[in-house]
Amino acid sequence: MKKKLGILLVLTLILWGCSKEKTTEPDAPMVLFEVPSTFPNTSYKMESNPITEDGFLLGKKIFFDGKLSRDGTISCAECHNQAYAFTHHGHAQSHGIDGQVGPRNGPALQNLAWQKTFFWDGGVFDLDLFSIAPIENPVEMDEKIGNVLEKLRNDQSYPPIFKKAFGTEEVTTERFLKSLSQFMLTLVSANSKYDQYKTGKANFSNDEKVGLTLFNEKGCGSCHPEPLFTDESFKSNGLPTDFFRNFVDFGRFRITELSDDKYKFKVPSLRNIEYTFPYMHDGRFSSLEDVLDHYADGGMADLENLDPIFKKNTKRGIALTSKEKSQIIAFLKTLTDEEFLKNKRFAP
Amino acid sequence: MKKIALALALGISVFFAACETSDINPNDKNSVSLHFEHLVGTEAFMLNTKTFTNASGEDFTISTFNYFVSNIILKKSDGTELKFADKYFLVKESLAESKVITLTDVPAGDYTSVSFMVGVDSAKSVSDVAQRTGVLDPASYGTDNMYWSWNSGYIFFKMEGKSTKSTNAAKDYKFHIGGFGGMSAKTVNNLRTVTLSMADLAKVRKNIAPEVHLTVDARKVFKTSLKIAESNTIMSPTLGVAVANNYKDMFAVEHVHNDEM
Ligand code: HEC
Ligand code: HEC
Repeated sequence: MKKKLGILLVLTLILWGCSKEKTTEPDAPMVLFEVPSTFPNTSYKMESNPITEDGFLLGKKIFFDGKLSRDGTISCAECHNQAYAFTHHGHAQSHGIDGQVGPRNGPALQNLAWQKTFFWDGGVFDLDLFSIAPIENPVEMDEKIGNVLEKLRNDQSYPPIFKKAFGTEEVTTERFLKSLSQFMLTLVSANSKYDQYKTGKANFSNDEKVGLTLFNEKGCGSCHPEPLFTDESFKSNGLPTDFFRNFVDFGRFRITELSDDKYKFKVPSLRNIEYTFPYMHDGRFSSLEDVLDHYADGGMADLENLDPIFKKNTKRGIALTSKEKSQIIAFLKTLTDEEFLKNKRFAP
Repeated sequence: MKKIALALALGISVFFAACETSDINPNDKNSVSLHFEHLVGTEAFMLNTKTFTNASGEDFTISTFNYFVSNIILKKSDGTELKFADKYFLVKESLAESKVITLTDVPAGDYTSVSFMVGVDSAKSVSDVAQRTGVLDPASYGTDNMYWSWNSGYIFFKMEGKSTKSTNAAKDYKFHIGGFGGMSAKTVNNLRTVTLSMADLAKVRKNIAPEVHLTVDARKVFKTSLKIAESNTIMSPTLGVAVANNYKDMFAVEHVHNDEM
């Protein structure tokens, strides 16, 4: 294996040498996807959809294309903005076509290769099948996937890129969905201050250090474990259910229809949390202070499936002093990955 | 004289009978076609324009009547089974050609029963997109959607129409039945297998391509007092169980044509 890599390297070097005349400064060969040394194996079957530069570029073009919506106005990027870890900045609930509002807050798109389910209720179990949902959702893009493929076939710029990526100009459902997956899979965030601290490349302040310890000792880490900061399970953290006046979101129950799953939502990753506000599935909290107050100040609702970890004290939740809260927040901010938020490779 | 004639007749019929069995050359192949005839009770189907009455005396029309058929098995009198793996069909009242399923390369023999699944089996329901082509391609449905994108899975059976008994503003009803048992959690399984014996036998021969005529009685969907007045919209797999249990009984083999070609 190593030998092959060596040969490849030499070959690339030779090829570089050849193309020197055209490009004065050859770009470093793009590593599109790598499992960070501290991360576990991916959940996504990478071998079922090998990431290539052309597939990635096609996926990116699609991600930023308003053609995916009925009236051409809404692209995926509209609700998933890189500067905010691909969340819908400024919107507690996502706004889609015709200004319509869906009930849920757009989660960050990051480290999707390690996710087993998608959506706050985990209704989709394969990233490749995901994109059909926003495209066909009447309050998001309100289009039919068949129409989208037809629009791409009729757009002169697309078929040649499909050919580059997949060998022929044919625009198929599989190619469309898998190229979008290729782009989304490359959205890996693993270079925050926390990651650098873990690999000895950066130092934590005292508050950040204490914050990390508290985070694990107080039990946050039991649901939001390092290094992905989610265990991918569905839990209830006691959010009162009366947030919307005339709508109750049952969360995971909507998918499994098991009463044990009522009001449970997928534990979200906390990476880049400083930028993914507002928080929770419905975007009810606008700041990390509000989130910590929810966990610590007894405002949790006594829901039937409230996680037992929050029932250990007389006051529901996790007891924290205000100092401890601010230390946890200081730690949470070390999860910001500037390189990820600003990487030009993800920009159109 | 009479006796001779009788003996002769007997001889001939024995001869023919012998011929008939030895007539089956297992190397011969032909096709078997399944013809789905949609009915309401005994009345012919008519989309939108005709009003029917269900078991609870409620009026209803039908605007959409679709279902997936897969995992077809033909069984011979000796018990051997011929399985049609990886073949998926979407039968729609609105599309005449979809109501005939042709199974090719069926070895000669006398087939006594046919069975099939109504829906898309769990293995296929969780398969890679590469395997979702033809009627399983989520891009193939247009406005007549047969795929749930928010709760990944196919809609196995879809029936919609109008009824004055519906309590909603549009005075319509919608039954979308799906649920393959779940991928990331165990959920309701609404896959149903239908097994029908064929009294006439389907006699596949080099020169006989049997046509199996099935009747599909949409009235049976309301069999166990499913009332539109009580449930005009059924889309959750749990509520769908009762409907799936009803519609699995709507199929019957009417007759089989074994005409020589
Ligand atoms: C109108 C805004 C909007 C548009 C447009 C949109 N999304 Fe989303 N996206 C959301 C919201 C809101 C959620 C969370 C919904 C839920 O969990 O119910 C979400 C969730 C996701 C997730 C799941 C993340 C997770 O952690 O579970 C992925 C992946 C995703 N979107 C990708 C896309 C792609 C690809 C497109 C374009 C084809 C797209 N989105 C278009 C708002 C949008
Ligand atoms: C029992 C599991 C569990 C524990 C323990 C837990 N959380 Fe959470 N956390 C969740 C779930 C589930 C959500 C999403 C809830 C929702 O939106 O309905 C969440 C959401 C969050 C969010 C918002 C994320 C976003 O993107 O909107 C933050 C921040 C957070 N938790 C931090 C913490 C901290 C800090 C602690 C410790 C004080 C903690 N959590 C303890 C399960 C847990």
